[in-house]
Amino acid sequence: MTSAQIEIQLIASLVAMACAIPGTFLVLRKMAMISDAISHSILPGIVVGFFLTEDLNSPWLILLAALTGLITVFLVEFIQKTGLVKEDTAIGLVFPALFSIGVILIAKNANDVHLDIDAVLLGELAFAPFDRLLLNGADLGPKSLWVIGAILVLTVALLFTFFKELKLSTFDKGLATSLGFSPVIMHYSLMGVASVTTVGAFDAVGAILVVALMIAPAAMAYLLTNDLKKMLLLSVIFGVVSAITGYWIAHWLDASIAGSMTSVLGILFLLVYLFAPSKGLISVLYRQKRQKVEVHLLTFLLHLQNHEEESERHVKHLNEHINWREVRSKSVLDLASKNNMIVIEDQIISLTPKGKEFTSEAIKYIMTNKSSAIEEMKDRFFLFRG
Amino acid sequence: MVAVIFFASCKSDEKKDGSSKLKVVTTTTMLTDLVERIGGDSIQVQGLMGSGVDPHLYKASEGDVSKLFNADIVFYMGLHLEGKLVEVFEKMEKGNANTVAVGEVLPKDELIGSEYFASNYDPHVWFNIGFWKQIATHTMEELQKADPSNASFFEENTQKYIAELEALELQLKETIETLPKEQRILVTAHDAFNYFGAAFGFEVVGLQGLSTATEAGVQDVQELAKFIISREVKAIFVESSVPKRTIEALQASVKSKGHEVTIGGTLYSDALGNKGTVEGTYIGMFQYNVETIVNALR
Repeated sequence: MTSAQIEIQLIASLVAMACAIPGTFLVLRKMAMISDAISHSILPGIVVGFFLTEDLNSPWLILLAALTGLITVFLVEFIQKTGLVKEDTAIGLVFPALFSIGVILIAKNANDVHLDIDAVLLGELAFAPFDRLLLNGADLGPKSLWVIGAILVLTVALLFTFFKELKLSTFDKGLATSLGFSPVIMHYSLMGVASVTTVGAFDAVGAILVVALMIAPAAMAYLLTNDLKKMLLLSVIFGVVSAITGYWIAHWLDASIAGSMTSVLGILFLLVYLFAPSKGLISVLYRQKRQKVEVHLLTFLLHLQNHEEESERHVKHLNEHINWREVRSKSVLDLASKNNMIVIEDQIISLTPKGKEFTSEAIKYIMTNKSSAIEEMKDRFFLFRG
Repeated sequence: MVAVIFFASCKSDEKKDGSSKLKVVTTTTMLTDLVERIGGDSIQVQGLMGSGVDPHLYKASEGDVSKLFNADIVFYMGLHLEGKLVEVFEKMEKGNANTVAVGEVLPKDELIGSEYFASNYDPHVWFNIGFWKQIATHTMEELQKADPSNASFFEENTQKYIAELEALELQLKETIETLPKEQRILVTAHDAFNYFGAAFGFEVVGLQGLSTATEAGVQDVQELAKFIISREVKAIFVESSVPKRTIEALQASVKSKGHEVTIGGTLYSDALGNKGTVEGTYIGMFQYNVETIVNALR
């Protein structure tokens, strides 16, 4: 590995961490797209900066870009607070407006200058190692490493200092207010961090990767855990792992680095989405299927309890009377006998004492409309689930 | 001879550190061709951009990092041709890397400037053969500085190349002489041919602005269509690194006004043709462009 390769991976990992932290809160607050919005709405800031300095490389352009990012956040918040539109609608209203102000400013005043977001914010990870920070001739490493490092330190410091406040204001605004700290201030600080991170990371790695690194790792973590601390940790890990894996895939394919990293994030998300233990698609489908069989089981047990006469309890009768297909009636019968709820003698089915107890308790819960308690009851009675 | 040099010098980075050859990285295909002609097989040349790549919109790949990182010297056009890559090279120069913006050596008062912002110039300077000769000489000097042991070899190659360029210029002028003066109007998709027009007496009209990122508006298309009809232009041209769509829209617009204009062919503007073909060299590209233009307009 050359030093350039190590530096790229280091920068990418730091960006992944710096994005994952605000990203987690944004995903929880359903404001994930704010980073995408910021990456567009900073255009007027850049254009105004260019008109003031007439220099495409001035740091003022980036400062004004970050400022426009904050304005975006304020406007989104303002529109959203009116309660007339939802969060994502507010985002969708604000950033095209700001972006088009930038486009019109360019079209009117600087049509033949190569002035766009890409030209000012470098946004290409491959070239990050070549932009060095020199101090008195000494090479201190890539500039973006320092910028992103500083943003990350700031983010982590804020996270540790205000973790409790952030947590409360994210999950329970009312309680946060009554405990004496303002969720509004927390919200703006968080959005401010997101804005600065977006602009800073934009310069280092480019827009698409920033948006992907803010949202995808947090979304994956969200599917895997309900614990905020674990979620933060997981999204940082997912971000860093995707960044490094993506880099090596780019190396292997000789392809765009940001593109490969974003693809890895997409693939990882798909895997988590499918296979996450409790919120994943497959486990949700599996649980739905189990639920269905268990509802059938309960119906079947109720039927048995209501009918003393043997003709109603004949195995053959099930198909006609309850009108189940043979396969299902067999799986229900199997489940019931595996759990020792029924016994079958000469094709006649009877409830065991355990089966009776289960059925009457279930009826009680259904009558009192406490269906949720049935799940808990199932855990007590079932040796095998459906 | 040229082909041999190509294949000898464009092998990939297999012998990266083993060989003592000077490692040179170039941006556009024109510069790659130029440096290969001057350096021959005494240097190792790696071009970042392939044929058909618009230098403004070039996206870096992971392999470019090690190419740039291991390069002894980097040649690029400058004058904002390579978009934000120019900024990267300028930053590399501030570190200890050796990067050369060959376009910057040209006298600024001879360059075609932007209407609004004086410091921005039209970067398509290679369409002026005189400029290309200056660039060749400058490139040779930089190579000599970087690898003094091969100085005379570079000198020899450069002189041979400049002689070929002079022959090319004469030959092209002869070809163009066969086209009546009033028919020398070049309509293309983007303003890459201003220097060509100035050097060979063509009136150049582009549909897009200088940057390939800006799109042509409906009004631009309409006005250009009127111009084509009033001046009885026979053919308009597509460029290899710009999508065909805009120039086809122009053709349709002329047709809707009841006139005919053919698409005269594809011209090479920001990039040469594929490696190994005749259009894959600067000289071949220039001959091809001029023949295409003259044949279509005659």
